[in-house]
Amino acid sequence: MIGFDVVGFMISWLTLFGIYAILSLTLNLESGTAGITNFGKVLFYGIGAYASATLTTYMVLMLNGVDVGETPPYDIRGIILLGELGNRNPLLNISLLTLSLIMAFALAGLVGYLLTYPILRVGPAFVGFTLLSAGELLRIFLQHYEPVGASKGLMAIPTPFGWIVEGRVRELAYLGLVMGLVALTYVVVHRLVNSPLGRTLRAIRDDEIAALCLGKHVPRTKATILFIGSGFAGVAGVLLAYYLTSVNPNMFVPLVTFNVWAMIILGGIGNLRGSLLGAAIITFVDRALTFVTPQLGVAVISPDYLRWVVVGLLIVVVLLVNPKGLLPERPIKTPALDEIAKELRDGPK
Amino acid sequence: MSVLLEVRDVAKYFGGVRALDGVSLTVPEGGLIGLIGPNGSGKTTLFNVITGFYVPDRGSILFRESKDFARIDGLNPNEVFRKGIVRTFQIPRLFSSLTVLENLLVAPIGQRGERPLRALFKGSWSEQERELARRAVELLKRFDMLQYVNSKVSELSAAHIKMLETIRGLMTPAKLYLLDEPTAGVDYAMARELFDYVKRLRDEHGLTFLVIEHRLEILMDYVDYVYVLHNGKLLAEGKPQEVTAEPKVIEAYIGV
Repeated sequence: MIGFDVVGFMISWLTLFGIYAILSLTLNLESGTAGITNFGKVLFYGIGAYASATLTTYMVLMLNGVDVGETPPYDIRGIILLGELGNRNPLLNISLLTLSLIMAFALAGLVGYLLTYPILRVGPAFVGFTLLSAGELLRIFLQHYEPVGASKGLMAIPTPFGWIVEGRVRELAYLGLVMGLVALTYVVVHRLVNSPLGRTLRAIRDDEIAALCLGKHVPRTKATILFIGSGFAGVAGVLLAYYLTSVNPNMFVPLVTFNVWAMIILGGIGNLRGSLLGAAIITFVDRALTFVTPQLGVAVISPDYLRWVVVGLLIVVVLLVNPKGLLPERPIKTPALDEIAKELRDGPK
Repeated sequence: MSVLLEVRDVAKYFGGVRALDGVSLTVPEGGLIGLIGPNGSGKTTLFNVITGFYVPDRGSILFRESKDFARIDGLNPNEVFRKGIVRTFQIPRLFSSLTVLENLLVAPIGQRGERPLRALFKGSWSEQERELARRAVELLKRFDMLQYVNSKVSELSAAHIKMLETIRGLMTPAKLYLLDEPTAGVDYAMARELFDYVKRLRDEHGLTFLVIEHRLEILMDYVDYVYVLHNGKLLAEGKPQEVTAEPKVIEAYIGV
């Protein structure tokens, strides 16, 4: 009889879903609504993950009086020390979480904002490639940068709820944190889309020249959106680093970006609920394969390969039936619609 | 009447091609001015230079903004718009995924809800939004288009698309309208209707129009003054009857 831990599965799926939902919601804002071809989402995700991993490991060692020059966190002694010292002080862990979130948002957001300078003066395909290469540059840099562990990365990252002894409670607490941040992201993105700003973003996406002729500050607007979207991607990176308790450069390959693209294409470009749905489906496939395949005992089928087959099939089937994805884009909702409804109801005066 | 726009000796070269070669013209406030010429004579290039898409190689462009009469050449398209010039395109550039209402609501400047932090709090912009919606409804009513208010632009007829592009300008404080072939692809009756609207806007709102048009038989009935461009140079100018009688103009058009 195969034992199947349903609750464990749910927690693991929902946590992963939450992390990816933050990425897909913000990618949908940038690429779906504003039309910025962001093929470099992983860059900002990576910045967030490394920012929190570096901050947390170094701070925990230093505050415990360890000389990080002598025993850096990527060293085997450092890793052992982190395991021993990391989860003793709830206050410290929570403060480091808070600090990480703020730092990751600011850092990733700033990089996103600055990157718009070279990209906004070129066509959409070049925007995509510039961001794609920027992501690869980060990965290659991290691979060779000793203070963050180079190709080994950082391990044994003390987690915000590591001091909770009971495993299930700890996982649930973390899931709560992730869901809270997903809710925050959703509210922010939803409000931005359903506002005059959201309307202007769609206008810029449809016809940049016409938007320019109506006096819109196209570059500034896009830069602001990349700041917000990248900042939240940084937050998702923080959540990933604490969830896995380790980071290494190979986690931040371009495939991650395209995975998020698959989510928004599947769910419906320009529809935020679609992003949630897309993230839920694809992370479910991922988790299900990871949980189920080892139990089948068929070593030939690695979930790593099967995942892409399933995701690819899903996208093809959905797009054949509904080219706009599961949930197509809808007109934005602002109080203007109430005004129109009133007018049409009252009829001609 | 005071001069609203003045183009002084403007030249624009593309490699060896002299798209504009020393063009000067003036548009008086409240004027309805025609700009005609054979294909490739530089009409659209002139619009592109005025609206900031190209920087002229020579000459200057002046525009009256309230009291000042100042140079606008070298400004970006969005800055030119903010001075009070709005343009339409030969092939209309509406926002295709937006509804008719949304297309109108994009246009106004100074919308509070366009600022990212304010956009998050509906209370700070909803009153302004409602007011703009009422203005859009008024305009659509006046142009008999209210029934399309929630339609996608892709569902409109060619004539309505042209009209919507023009009406969109009315949501802004623009004073000068540059219309690039407003009646291309529109049937004769509708084309006349469109020009009737333009004339009404001029008469009732004191707006100023500079119109590129190939359909002279319609244009000449509406405009008060015409400029004729040919090979990047001003070939003739004058009242419609004078210009159409000019042998040079007939020659340029028929190509004898």
